[in-house]
Amino acid sequence: MLELKNIYKYYNPGTINELCLFKGFNLTVEQGEFLSVVGSNGSGKTSMLNIICGSIPVESGSILLDGKDITNMKEFRRNEKIGRVYQNPALGTCPSMTILENMSLADNKGKRYGLKRGVNKNRMEYYRELLRPLNLGLEDKMHVKVGSLSGGQRQAMALLMSTMTPIEFLILDEHTAALDPKTAEIIMELTDKIVKEKKLTTIMVTHNLRYAVEYGSRLLMMHQGESVIDCAGEEKKSLNIDDILKKFNEISIECGN
Amino acid sequence: MDFVITIVEQGLIYGILALGVYITYKILDFPDLTTDGSFPLGAAVTAALITKGVNPYLTLLAAFAVGALAGVCTGLIHVKGKVRDLLSGIIMMTALWTINLRIAGTSNVPLFSKETIFKNSFLENLIPESIQPYTTLIVVVILTVITKLILDFYMNSRSGFLLRAVGDNDKLVTALAKDEGNMKILGLAIANGLIALSGSIFCQEERVFEISMGTGAVVIGLASVIIGTSLFRGFSFMKATTAVILGSILYKACTAIAMRNFEPQDMKFITAALFLIVLLISMERKKKVKIDA
Amino acid sequence: MKTKTTAKVFGAAFLTMALAAGTVTVHAEEEQYTIGIEQFAEHGSLDNCREGFLEGLKEEGIEEGKNLTVDYKNAASDMGTCGQISDSFASDKVDLMVGIATPSAQSLYNAAMDTDIPVIYTAVTDPLAAELVDEDGNPVGEVTGTSDKLPVKQQLEMIREILPDAKTIGILYTTSEANSESSIKEYEALAGDYDFTIETAGITTTADIPLAAQSLLEKVDCLTNLTDNTVVASLPTILEMANEKNIPVFGSEIEQVKIGCLAAEGLDYIELGKQTGKMAAKVLKGEAKAFELPYETIEEAALYVNEAVAGNLGIEIPEDMTSSAAEVFEEITEYTAEE
Repeated sequence: MLELKNIYKYYNPGTINELCLFKGFNLTVEQGEFLSVVGSNGSGKTSMLNIICGSIPVESGSILLDGKDITNMKEFRRNEKIGRVYQNPALGTCPSMTILENMSLADNKGKRYGLKRGVNKNRMEYYRELLRPLNLGLEDKMHVKVGSLSGGQRQAMALLMSTMTPIEFLILDEHTAALDPKTAEIIMELTDKIVKEKKLTTIMVTHNLRYAVEYGSRLLMMHQGESVIDCAGEEKKSLNIDDILKKFNEISIECGN
Repeated sequence: MDFVITIVEQGLIYGILALGVYITYKILDFPDLTTDGSFPLGAAVTAALITKGVNPYLTLLAAFAVGALAGVCTGLIHVKGKVRDLLSGIIMMTALWTINLRIAGTSNVPLFSKETIFKNSFLENLIPESIQPYTTLIVVVILTVITKLILDFYMNSRSGFLLRAVGDNDKLVTALAKDEGNMKILGLAIANGLIALSGSIFCQEERVFEISMGTGAVVIGLASVIIGTSLFRGFSFMKATTAVILGSILYKACTAIAMRNFEPQDMKFITAALFLIVLLISMERKKKVKIDA
Repeated sequence: MKTKTTAKVFGAAFLTMALAAGTVTVHAEEEQYTIGIEQFAEHGSLDNCREGFLEGLKEEGIEEGKNLTVDYKNAASDMGTCGQISDSFASDKVDLMVGIATPSAQSLYNAAMDTDIPVIYTAVTDPLAAELVDEDGNPVGEVTGTSDKLPVKQQLEMIREILPDAKTIGILYTTSEANSESSIKEYEALAGDYDFTIETAGITTTADIPLAAQSLLEKVDCLTNLTDNTVVASLPTILEMANEKNIPVFGSEIEQVKIGCLAAEGLDYIELGKQTGKMAAKVLKGEAKAFELPYETIEEAALYVNEAVAGNLGIEIPEDMTSSAAEVFEEITEYTAEE
């Protein structure tokens, strides 16, 4: 379970450009929940993810993971339990290393990165098994450098790599936004499959309202650092794109867009 | 023939320096100017220890250790002090000038009368008379190959993987729940350790420590790395470490040939021109590869 | 053996030939010699050494263009280049290698160690510290030459005579130049004999000079120069600062007096080079082995005085000094960088 309690976040504090994004923001994500987050640009979606992961600090408030306060924990420490996929496919993999090396790197998460061999040949088949369902032919390119793969292929790898070792939390930061519609679809299906299989608690930020409606057990619409729609369960199931779009337009008109 | 041997010897000695520069420049993507200070640092430590009668082979390890320490300092300045990479190196390089003078005691320490890794009673007994003239070459080859193999081994270890990831995509290292700052420090330590090791070997080969011997070391290292990695890009069977060492030999060959045919005053310009040409060629190739893909 | 025909070598050859035209010299033997000259840096004094060296050889009948081929290389102050030049000389199997300045001398000696090529050096201030001679002053191998050790004693004597009331002498030096360090040791050892104390200021680069000179000038009655490359290159700056404070600056060689130092018991690098050339001739002709020749220092220091500077400072130079001086300058020559 993840809790954000009374979060305050300012940008450029003390300057004329000071911008208050979160004023006492609260959010609780239950164990096993798949939360889709939508909202206009600047609504605080990505900032929220960054706050959860520790990429940016908060002015006040606390972040609790399974009841444990992680507000002051460094980003890399939090990542022991969190997996994250970025919008940019390049951020989830190492371009100059081969598929095999990338998979091994991710496979060793949580272990000591000592002088043992980086690649465990015995795991090769296992990696291939993981890659095969993607139907991208990556299982036959184990020694190809990831840098030469397409964005979609890399994003699929990034997703596999971030969920390879046991984690409690998966953060998806517009992870289909940079892909073409068809590839996005494939990645989205893969995401759903992995989340269900591993029963991961997930937060997915997306601009694709259809994905937000179709996937996930709960939907959150954010605007100016606050949630304007938050529905789960049956209420979420009955939601359709038009409802959200209507709300979305309302907000935008309010802002004068 | 002797001319070629000289080039190979020098190229191999500086090849170890180039391996260090390869780690910072290519792997960590960190333009590390500590090099100009850590190269003579290795030499200073070696000269001081040999003068005190320490076994010359032990000085190699000592040089590596002290060089690594210098790398750690640069890393700490950069990572913990949040000083820009280039500046961190400049700060360390400047500080090392004094440190080197203090370690060596003076700006010029000759070692003519001392035993070195190239000239000692042990080697004289070991190596048969007929190949004695090639002692230096043999020792340099052995040292460089050992260094390369150890580095290859490390680069293929889990820790090495993580190091390669840092320069490639530091976000991934954080995602793997490892501190990318610590990895950078580790990388700088290994790199400067190697550079100091190279300085130690060079100092024993030349049998003198000179405070100014590090001037331009980073340029030699960078040129070797760029020549090596861009010329041998196509040979996938060749490890990058091998390419870098070959690059160093090629670079030394180029300067040796240039030295025979040009005025010494022009050498720096020729070095710069050579550097630029290789860079441009490698960029041209990259473009082509992209188009092909 | 390939000879490099650069403009410089041509020029030098032309010059020597022109000089030779006056004197009729006939050489009986037709032995051909090849030598490699390695000069550490581009520097006026060192160039003079080289010029003098070739002159010295010529006086002994070994003349460039006739029976001598010279391969001249400049290491541009780079140790790595030094090593490469030395090794290339050794692999070319020249008859003799000449090292101008300490790092070049050391590098050549190192390269020659496994060969039988003799090494002659010049402009090495402290051959003992450079390990080119043993404790007793004997060559450590097939290596000998001349030292440009400053005539410190004569210099101190001269300063005392010109400035009877002076107490403190300031010296500016570069911490990376071993030659300067050993000269300073000598100054400090001898200063007491003439009731002087020595104040030094070490610098790392040219950029440090203005500040270092300023703080040094506040503490001293006069400055004296070593042969420190960095400091000598910035001498005009130092002179200007010293003039403002009316503090005399003593030089260490003729060129420095020409451009505004008050006086110098100095070295004549051309003479030093000649002396070295004669040693080299002995070795080349087989009259002596290099290790049989002890290293030499300049036989006599020469006094140079600049009257114009003395006038500006309001200092009277004793009559007997000007009359015994090797050269008295009546004006201050504008400083121009060599070459």
